[in-house]
Amino acid sequence: MMPEVGRKLPRKDGVAKITGREPYSHDIYLPHMLYAAVYRSPLAHARIQHVDTSGAEALGAVCLTPFDVPDFIYNERIVSIPTKTYKDRRVLPTIARHVGEAIVGVAAETEELAVRALQQIRIDFEPLPAVLSTAEALRSESPKLYDRIWLGDRPIDMANNIAVERHITEGDPDDGFRGADFIVERRYTTPRKYHGQMETKAAVCQPLPNGGINVWATVQSIHNVRQVLGQIYDIPLSKINVMKLALGGSFGSSIQMNSIIPICVGMALKTGRPVKLVSPREDDFYDHAHYQTEMVLTVGVKNDGTFSAAKMDVVADIGAHHIQADALLGVMAGWLASLYKWHNFQFDGKAVYTNKVPTCALQGFGNHMVNFAVEQHLDIIAEMLGRDPVDLRLQNYIGEGDIFWGQGPSIKSVIQSCGVEEILREGSVRIGWNRREKPVDKQGRYRRGLGVARGFHTSGTGGPKPGDVIDYSSATIKVNEDGTVDILTPVVDHGGGTGEAIVKIVADILHVPYHMVELSDVDTRTTGYDVATHATRGVYCGGGAAAHVAEKVHRQILETGARILQVPTDDVTLAHNEDYGTGTHVFTKSNPDRQLTLAEIAKTAQINSWGTIAATGSYRQQSAPPCFMGHFVEVEVDTETGEVRIVRAVLLSDAGTVVNPDLLEGQLMGSFARGVGFALQEHSETLPSGALAHGGWLTDYRMSTSCDVPPSDALEVYYAHTYEPTGPFGAKGVAEASLSSVWSAVANAIYNAVGVRMYDLPITPEALLEALNAPHVLNV
Amino acid sequence: MTSGETPVTLTVNHKTYRLFINSSALLLNVLRDQLNLMGTKYGCGIGECGACSVLIDGELTLACMTLAGTAVGHEITTVEEVGESPVGRVITEKFLNHAAVQCGFCTPGMLVAASSLLQERAIPSEQEIREHLRGNLCRCTGYAALVKAIQDAARELHPDSERRPHAG
Ligand code: FES
Ligand code: FES
Repeated sequence: MMPEVGRKLPRKDGVAKITGREPYSHDIYLPHMLYAAVYRSPLAHARIQHVDTSGAEALGAVCLTPFDVPDFIYNERIVSIPTKTYKDRRVLPTIARHVGEAIVGVAAETEELAVRALQQIRIDFEPLPAVLSTAEALRSESPKLYDRIWLGDRPIDMANNIAVERHITEGDPDDGFRGADFIVERRYTTPRKYHGQMETKAAVCQPLPNGGINVWATVQSIHNVRQVLGQIYDIPLSKINVMKLALGGSFGSSIQMNSIIPICVGMALKTGRPVKLVSPREDDFYDHAHYQTEMVLTVGVKNDGTFSAAKMDVVADIGAHHIQADALLGVMAGWLASLYKWHNFQFDGKAVYTNKVPTCALQGFGNHMVNFAVEQHLDIIAEMLGRDPVDLRLQNYIGEGDIFWGQGPSIKSVIQSCGVEEILREGSVRIGWNRREKPVDKQGRYRRGLGVARGFHTSGTGGPKPGDVIDYSSATIKVNEDGTVDILTPVVDHGGGTGEAIVKIVADILHVPYHMVELSDVDTRTTGYDVATHATRGVYCGGGAAAHVAEKVHRQILETGARILQVPTDDVTLAHNEDYGTGTHVFTKSNPDRQLTLAEIAKTAQINSWGTIAATGSYRQQSAPPCFMGHFVEVEVDTETGEVRIVRAVLLSDAGTVVNPDLLEGQLMGSFARGVGFALQEHSETLPSGALAHGGWLTDYRMSTSCDVPPSDALEVYYAHTYEPTGPFGAKGVAEASLSSVWSAVANAIYNAVGVRMYDLPITPEALLEALNAPHVLNV
Repeated sequence: MTSGETPVTLTVNHKTYRLFINSSALLLNVLRDQLNLMGTKYGCGIGECGACSVLIDGELTLACMTLAGTAVGHEITTVEEVGESPVGRVITEKFLNHAAVQCGFCTPGMLVAASSLLQERAIPSEQEIREHLRGNLCRCTGYAALVKAIQDAARELHPDSERRPHAG
């Protein structure tokens, strides 16, 4: 059998998704169901003194107020170990801390009635002063968002708005800077961004007669949602079942349990009826965003092009809740430390509460922010040294044999596969790097420039020892009586093809063709634990666990086959032969004519009452290998309007063995489109009132349409030829890596076109025009 | 039937349904909540994303911007029917083969939009495809695979047109 890993094969859920038959959380309808809507705070900061629900109730609605929900403080993300989990969230708060914070849930017979009832909710607010920027939040006289938060079970009394600080040092940075020939320091900023997943967050909860609940919701981890709900509502986990459904995009916005899920559950428990809650798009905009950051990067450089030290100061605006800022600062340090050989290194990060939309991961979790600073810095340094930017990167990158700790200081791995050199060399050839001219040599209204940036992401958060982040996955695999195979995996597929990758991995281990292996509908009851589809761990960790279990099934097939053939187990092997039955068969090494198909083996085991050939298990990967990425971009700047057009781009990835080549291309293309949107247009800006400037509208937020992205023939993809020895069939992750260096490459190309360095994102036409018209004191 | 609801007859996918609807009921909600046609998706509710694309008398229409009452007497076609049509089947196959579907939430709307385009234009140019899909947002794919799949579908549906020399 030709290996299924690496083949282009139609995705399992493809036809169902295309033709509208694949159920998402939006599509769950239950008999006797109520529809819910959420009243959200119009104020950025206010104490809720009284909630008058009588008008809503007069319409027949049932309301859930902050005074009805358990007085329980939690963190909706339980990916980190409990002692590293900060908690500040309640199902519904008694103090609203951002415009759009959910305050009251309303359930009624129809959606329309729920919305009408919502309009009858009256709330007495005591307005409190709000802080809407980190600068304001950090002032000593500024109002505080919290008096007390919790770290694990330990209360923390808050002296200010700093949610968490992290200081991480390696080597002796002071000494490193003293040894530098020159020092380059710049300040970079990245704005708040919105995930823009097409499916708004939704939940359906069915209360059960035994006090339990069934939940269908938008999630990246069915098991973590189950556990958080169990904590909040004090329900044994055996009575909570969370179903795995298709996910309509997420980009990190559902790593944590979405805020509407426990509201929906609270209403279902209160009414005793199934409740459905679908976020309107506007509510979704007010529910999650990605961190705004300011980064000051200082690098000590030697004249030979090596570095003697690096230091990064980060202030992250996390908004009104601490979902995962502690982890964010850890990974930002890790991304910085793992990009280049700085030799000495210091990271000082502050995560600051503000009265803004709470923030969470977005494809890369701090990775692309750090990349924006470091990859522009590299170009600045290259120009100062008179060196080629590709060359300088090749001189200093961290590669095979070096330590990678992209997921923070507690998750370190030795790099065993690295495509950086291939990516940089191949990208240079494909884009025509040797035709790159200096900005000063360019004239005219339209100026073109070439830019490069390289990035990476981790593949999961595994390692030989447990770290601050939980990482393992589970699988159950069984052979059916006709020789087909069922896989039960808790791993949620964002759409990138994790499910298909797992099928291919299992298919190849069991020598069963792809079309005879299917993914079962599963839930928290029928699967072992999986932490979440985050950290680009789906294929490497989820697929790794499936591979581990498939090996057990492989052994069972051999044992059962040997038992039927009455030969020792070590005298049989499993193989695929098109000429024989369904293809998969066990044959006797000593007498190859004696063979059985997998169907015959499974059926015989059934008839003889030997049992089903099946295995289940959990597995933790012992490493977290980086998948490397490179972007070479050509832009054209209209110096009269400030508009930037992508002329060409080469997207190069190092995913180890490529499991789904077509889906990988799709991920690279999609990430590039998002990255260009983030680079040039998207900004989820907060007004002085605390409201969003774009009002929660997709058009005004400026999501890219089919006409905004570069034409198809402008983009080219390339996969480096690497093999990750610790991954299933040599594979590692790629998803988040594919966004990591897009905007850095765009910014570097803009500089190469017009000689203006853009330190702040997004690089809108207005911003670029302003920079072009500013007196050019210093271009580099 | 509750107060304010009136009886109407809607023709959806060649079937006739007698329903009670509110005068403010949106076609999107009637299709999903009353007719269990879940392929028409909610992405924004205000005409910005195209996830709710349907055909009314063959015209590409946003179900979230259409009062169900105004569709009375017209032929409504949803993705469930488009997917079964000859053009829809070819596009489905091409979406699949070009890996133009990732999370899939936008995809039914894309299928409806693409089929309406290929009904109008035998061999649309890339620019025409992009213009036609402008109202259908996709956050996952970056549109490249969708565009290629639609070009491929057009070529398969009209093998002769492709060989016709370009005008001018
Ligand atoms: S739901 Fe109709 S256009 Fe978005
Ligand atoms: S495939 Fe996810 S939005 Fe288009």
